[in-house]
Amino acid sequence: MNDVSFHSFRAQAAQAIANAHLQSAIDGATLKFRTERKRVLADLPDVEAMRDHFKAMRAATLAHLTDYLEQFEHNARAAGAQVHWAQDAAEAQQIVIGIARQHGATLAVKSKSMTTEEIELNAALAEAGITSVETDLGEWIVQLAAESPAHIVVPALHKTRQQVAELFSREVGRSLSADDIPLLTSEARRALREKFLAAQIGISGANLGVAETGSIVLVTNEGNGRMVSSVPPVHVAVMGIEKICPTWDDAAVWLELLARSSTGQPLSVYTTALTGPAREGDPDGPRELHIVLYDGGRSRLIGTSYEEVLQCIRCGACLNHCPVYQEAGGHAYGHAYSGPIGAVLVPLLYGLEQYEALPHASSLCGACLEVCPARIDLPRMLLDLRAEEVARGIIPPPEQLIEKSAAWLLGHRRLFNALTDLGRVFQRPLVSKNGLRVPRRFNPAQDRQLPSLAPRSFHDLWQELAAEEALPARAARRWPSRRTSLTLAGISLLPLALLWRLLRHKGGKRR
Amino acid sequence: MSTAREDILNALRGRVRRGEGVPAPWRSRQHFDDLAVRFSTTLTALYGEVIRAASAEEALDRLGDVLRDLGATRVAVNDEPPLSGVDLAARWPEITWHVVGRTEGDLRAFCAGADVGVTGAVAALAETGSIVVNSGPGRSRLVSLLPPMHIALVPVSCLTSDLLTWAAARSGEWPANVTVISGPSKTADIEQTTAIGMHGPKRVIAILYGEAGG
Repeated sequence: MNDVSFHSFRAQAAQAIANAHLQSAIDGATLKFRTERKRVLADLPDVEAMRDHFKAMRAATLAHLTDYLEQFEHNARAAGAQVHWAQDAAEAQQIVIGIARQHGATLAVKSKSMTTEEIELNAALAEAGITSVETDLGEWIVQLAAESPAHIVVPALHKTRQQVAELFSREVGRSLSADDIPLLTSEARRALREKFLAAQIGISGANLGVAETGSIVLVTNEGNGRMVSSVPPVHVAVMGIEKICPTWDDAAVWLELLARSSTGQPLSVYTTALTGPAREGDPDGPRELHIVLYDGGRSRLIGTSYEEVLQCIRCGACLNHCPVYQEAGGHAYGHAYSGPIGAVLVPLLYGLEQYEALPHASSLCGACLEVCPARIDLPRMLLDLRAEEVARGIIPPPEQLIEKSAAWLLGHRRLFNALTDLGRVFQRPLVSKNGLRVPRRFNPAQDRQLPSLAPRSFHDLWQELAAEEALPARAARRWPSRRTSLTLAGISLLPLALLWRLLRHKGGKRR
Repeated sequence: MSTAREDILNALRGRVRRGEGVPAPWRSRQHFDDLAVRFSTTLTALYGEVIRAASAEEALDRLGDVLRDLGATRVAVNDEPPLSGVDLAARWPEITWHVVGRTEGDLRAFCAGADVGVTGAVAALAETGSIVVNSGPGRSRLVSLLPPMHIALVPVSCLTSDLLTWAAARSGEWPANVTVISGPSKTADIEQTTAIGMHGPKRVIAILYGEAGG
C-alpha cells in the first residue's frame, strides 16, 4: 500500500471534501450508524458495565495470549481443522496459495474480511493464476471498480448507484437501470451464486476465535460468510492472532457488542460458529478447514504501551464518530484500516515513517474513545505516536519546529501568558464577528476562518473562579491539562503558523 | 511453517505480562416477561415472519398452508424434529421432497433449485429474534441457506433470553457448524438502501409451536 505523507493525506482529503456525493454518502451512512448504535445499546441492561467487563476480558486475554493461542490451536486441530502460522503478509499469501494449488483451485470465493485486505491476498492470488471473487456486495463493487474499501464496514460507501449499475452492466453484459436497487442486488445475487457453486475454495477472515473449542466465528448480513464456509469443498480462514477469546461466555459478550457498535443491529443476520470441517455423517460442508493465524507485526505490540490497540474488534464505530474521517473519507488513510483505529494501527504495524501523517488525522476530540466497545484509548496513542515522531525526527522540519517550540513554550508559563496577551493586542485589526480576517494566502486554515483569541483566557477565568470558590490551590494548579495547553499553544503560535504557511506555499510551487 | 509458529510464540513469550486473569463471566441481565412475544416482535421487525401454532401437529398444518399458498413444488427438508418421521410425500404428494440423508441424489443441486428449505431449530433467542440451527446427520447447512425461503419449526421450549443465556446453558460438543439466523439475508451496500435476499433466503418464517412455558 502507499505511503501516507502529510502532503498526500491533505491532497486526498481535499479531493474527498470537494466530492459532494462522497460527503453526503459519508454523512448519511455514519449518521444512520450513530443513531442506530445508540438505540440498540440502550436496549442492553448495564451496557457500560458490560463494556468495562469486555475491556478487562480483552486485556487479560492479550496478557495471556500465548496460552490462549496454544489452547485454540490444540482444540481446532482436535476438531479436525488444519492450523497454519504466518509471520508476515508474504507468508500468509503463500500458505493460502499453497492450499489452493494443492486442490487445483482456479476460482476462489471470498467473504468480506479486513485481514485479507490487509495482506492484499487478492493481488497475490491473481499473480498465482487464481481468480478470487469478492462476494460481499460492497467488496464486489469495489473489486469490479479496481478500487479499495472506503470504510471498514461499508466498503463501497463512495460509489453512486449509477456507478454501480455501470459496473454491473459491464459484468453481466446487459444494460441495467440504476433506478432499481433491489434489481441490481438480485443481479448480483445471481452472478455471485454461480461463482459460489463453481468455486473450488472459499476464503474468509474470522471475526473471532474461541480457545475452549477451537472455533472461529463469522458474522455477515448478506450470508457471504455462510456461503464461502458451506458451499466449496475447502475453506480457508485468515485470522489475526489477537482475535482470540477464552470461552463461549466471552464470545457471547463480544458478539452482543460487535453488531450493536458497528451497524447498530442487535446481531448481524448470520453469526456462524465453525468448529472443524464437516464431520462424519454431515450431509454437506467443507472437507477441509484451514485456519491461518496471522501475526503481521501484532506480536511486537504485546507488552508495549500500544498493546491496547489489539483489543480492537473492527466494528468501525470510531470511524462513524470521527469528525476527521467524516470529511477526509477512507481513502486518504492510504490503507484498508481507516479512521481513528487506522491512524493508530497502521503506523504501528507498517511503520511510522511510511504513515507519518496518520497520527495527525485527528482533532483529539475523544469521540473514538467514548464509543469504542473495548474503550481503547486511541487519543492517548495518537498523542504518543506524535511525540514519537518528533523524538525520532520523522515529521517535516517546519512541523518539528512548531511542536518543539510548543513544548518549550508550554514549559514557560509566564512567557506563554505574555505571548497570548501580546497576541490579543496584535490581532485587534483582524478580529471580526466570526473570527480572524486573514487573507487566504496567509491563512493556514485556508478556507476556514481562524478563531480569535478570547478577550480573557480560560486560565485567567479559572484562576478567578478558583479564588471565588476557594477551590483547593492544588486543583487549580493542576490546570492546564496537556490537551488544553496544546490547543492554546496552537492559537498562540499563529505567527509561526503563518510563517510556515508561507514556506509551504513556496515549497509547493517549487515542486 | 513450524518455524513461523515458534517465532511468533517465542516473540510473544518474551512479551506477555500474565498477571490478572480473565474476569468471571458476564451473565445476562436481560429480562423478558414473555419470551415468545419478544421473539415474535423482534423477528418481525427484522423483516422475518412468525406464525404461532399450539402443537407440533398444528405447526405441520401451518407449514402445509404456507407451501400451498406459495405454490412450492421443490422443497428440501432437514431430517430433524419435528419433521423426522413425518411421511411428507404422503401428506403433500404434489411437492417433490428432498429429505436430507434419506432422499437419493445431489443435495446441493437440489437446494440450489428448491423453492423452500425447511428446518427445525435447536434454540431461539428472544432478545434478537434469532433461530439457531446445527449441522449434523440429517442436518444440512444448505437447506437454510440456498433456497429463497427458509421455514423453521421452532418449539417454544427452545426459547431462551439471549446469546449470553444460550452460551451459558449450552453443553456438550460443538457441531462443525452452528448458525444463529436473525431474519432474511440483507444488504445496504448500494447507497445505504436496504435490499432483502442478497445471498441467503429472501423470506424467513418461524413457525413457533407449543404452549408458552412448556
